Amino acid sequence: MSQVTGAQSLVNSLEAAGVDVMFGIPGGAILPAYDPIFDSKIRHILVRHEQGAGHAATGYAQVTGRVGVCIATSGPGATNLVTPLADAAMDSVPMVAITGQVPSLAIGTDAFQEADIRGITMPFAKHNYLITDPAEIPRAIAEAFHIASTGRPGPVLVDIAKDALQKMTDFKYPTSVNLKGYQPRLAPNAQAIADAAELITQSSKPVFYVGGGVIKADAHRELLEIANLLGAPVVTTLMARGAFPDSHPLHLGMPGMHGTVAAVTGLQKADLLITLGARFDDRVTGKLSTFAVNAKVLHCDVDPAEINKNRFADVAVIGDVKHTLQALIPALKAALKKNQPDLSPWLRQMNSLKSSYPLGYDQPSDGSLSPQYVIERLGKISGPDTIFTSGVGQHQMWAAQFISYENPRTWLNSGGLGTMGYAVPAAMGAKVGAPDTTVWAIDGDGCFQMTNQELVTCALNNIPVKIAIINNESLGMVRQWQTLFYEGRYSNTSLESKRVPNFPMLAEAMGCVGLSCERPEDVDATIEKAMSINDQPVVVDFRVHRDAMVWPMVAAGTSNDDIMIARETAPDWDSQEL
Amino acid sequence: MAQHTLEVLVENSPGVLARVAGLFSRRAYNIERLTVGPTANPEVSQMDIVVSVEGHALEQVIAQLDKLINVISIKEIKPAEAPEVHDTQPDYQN
Repeated sequence: MSQVTGAQSLVNSLEAAGVDVMFGIPGGAILPAYDPIFDSKIRHILVRHEQGAGHAATGYAQVTGRVGVCIATSGPGATNLVTPLADAAMDSVPMVAITGQVPSLAIGTDAFQEADIRGITMPFAKHNYLITDPAEIPRAIAEAFHIASTGRPGPVLVDIAKDALQKMTDFKYPTSVNLKGYQPRLAPNAQAIADAAELITQSSKPVFYVGGGVIKADAHRELLEIANLLGAPVVTTLMARGAFPDSHPLHLGMPGMHGTVAAVTGLQKADLLITLGARFDDRVTGKLSTFAVNAKVLHCDVDPAEINKNRFADVAVIGDVKHTLQALIPALKAALKKNQPDLSPWLRQMNSLKSSYPLGYDQPSDGSLSPQYVIERLGKISGPDTIFTSGVGQHQMWAAQFISYENPRTWLNSGGLGTMGYAVPAAMGAKVGAPDTTVWAIDGDGCFQMTNQELVTCALNNIPVKIAIINNESLGMVRQWQTLFYEGRYSNTSLESKRVPNFPMLAEAMGCVGLSCERPEDVDATIEKAMSINDQPVVVDFRVHRDAMVWPMVAAGTSNDDIMIARETAPDWDSQEL
Repeated sequence: MAQHTLEVLVENSPGVLARVAGLFSRRAYNIERLTVGPTANPEVSQMDIVVSVEGHALEQVIAQLDKLINVISIKEIKPAEAPEVHDTQPDYQN
């Protein structure tokens, strides 16, 4: 066997793992790897900041279902990946990050650009490696891709000392991976499936509580089948938007802090939560002790540690949710033949809530632009095949609320970590993963100013994403909380982004087309103009009304029963039979 | 608070103690006592961990510990009775 460098072994291993694209920036410690990357068939996209590489890898992974790959050097290169790695961990995104490390003999000496990135990422990475022996590179890469993509997906970091990249070694990619301590359970237990079917037929007020796991497992078809089979209402969490068509009559919308009245109340009043790949996050449950107090819980999840973590499960099914539903559907069919519960009163209640409390917003009385209107029109004009990414804040919630999602993997956002600045680099990764699909990033003026430099990367690499800046010249969600909970004392939330920067000029400077819109009557034409440009990234500065707020809202730490549909306005519960 | 003794087999790899100790720290579980020693297999080490937790928290400690890739198996040692085997990845046979 001919000898190769550790660096060549790394690149060979990435090719063997099926990598077709990676996002990164070279630097001293990783430099040996960049020499064979120069000759590799893997497309390397040179980003402008490592955080952009990380979120781009996430965007690529969320759209394609494959492992996203990013690569950086030691020290600051590696620490700049920390936020996207933590983000990917919280949202269960399959990702492999490769970092260079200082030479093995220098480790621990506070060498130039040394940071203990394995130690730093230990709390949230699904797993990580520090490789100092070039012979270990192929096995580490094979294991990293296996761990990242199986079970509950997550980020894996492989940190490689510079001398391990430089030394000669034999390249042999392992044909299989055997990890004694990692054997995720995919097939559900037969007894648990039988118990689940039994529990469902005993319920007269069931709700499908659908989380991002359904999209990760590509189980949307099975979800549609079982929802139609049982005829029970469905809610899709922020991470699950698109897992079930918004147009489906059984869909109550998104639950949680800014969920619809029907979805929030559906969970609260249910007698059974059929929980699929969801994790009882505080943004969904509100005050946990008051969440769905009369409901039994069927919890289906691939991660055993999610069972009984926040909420006790009456029946737990551990396994890949696609496998679980494939087993549960025939079991439920059989059980329903013996005992078909009458769900019609429950559905009537839910439909009444849905029609009484649709999502809505007021147009500003001064004729200025409403942010919700802009987002609604983007969804309508661009259509259900478009991929949307968003940053974090008000615009994210409006994008989750006012765009109708019909397909999985069309809505990408930072749900768990809440990473401002996610939208632009995630859109870049999404467009690389789905080059023939329109990709719109709906971003805030605050978020955009955190990561917009990746538009240079997009312009130079023929990645024509479209960015809609919802410019309310504020850190809007923080400002909303200041309005509601801090007596309108707007401490440090005014960004003045209608004065500086000039977003269209900034966009043009980065090689993009820059557009601007501030009148409702110009919205459609501006969107259509942006849609007509497909050879360059486009940035639209939508200059919107500043005081719009996200409703409904369950204030942090309060009960979902206290949902407000507008400021100091609760739903009229007396008119509802619940 | 009740004390529980966990006998944890781990891969003898660098950083494994930091992984286990870090997990207890970040999930706010209290370690009362921790010992690490070799086993007959040089690739496997044994950690005996005494942890103070109540009820469901013990189940969470074990489930979270089992998610660490380098953790092979976890047994709860109960005084004067046979060890109860916890393995939330049931495919793995101890």
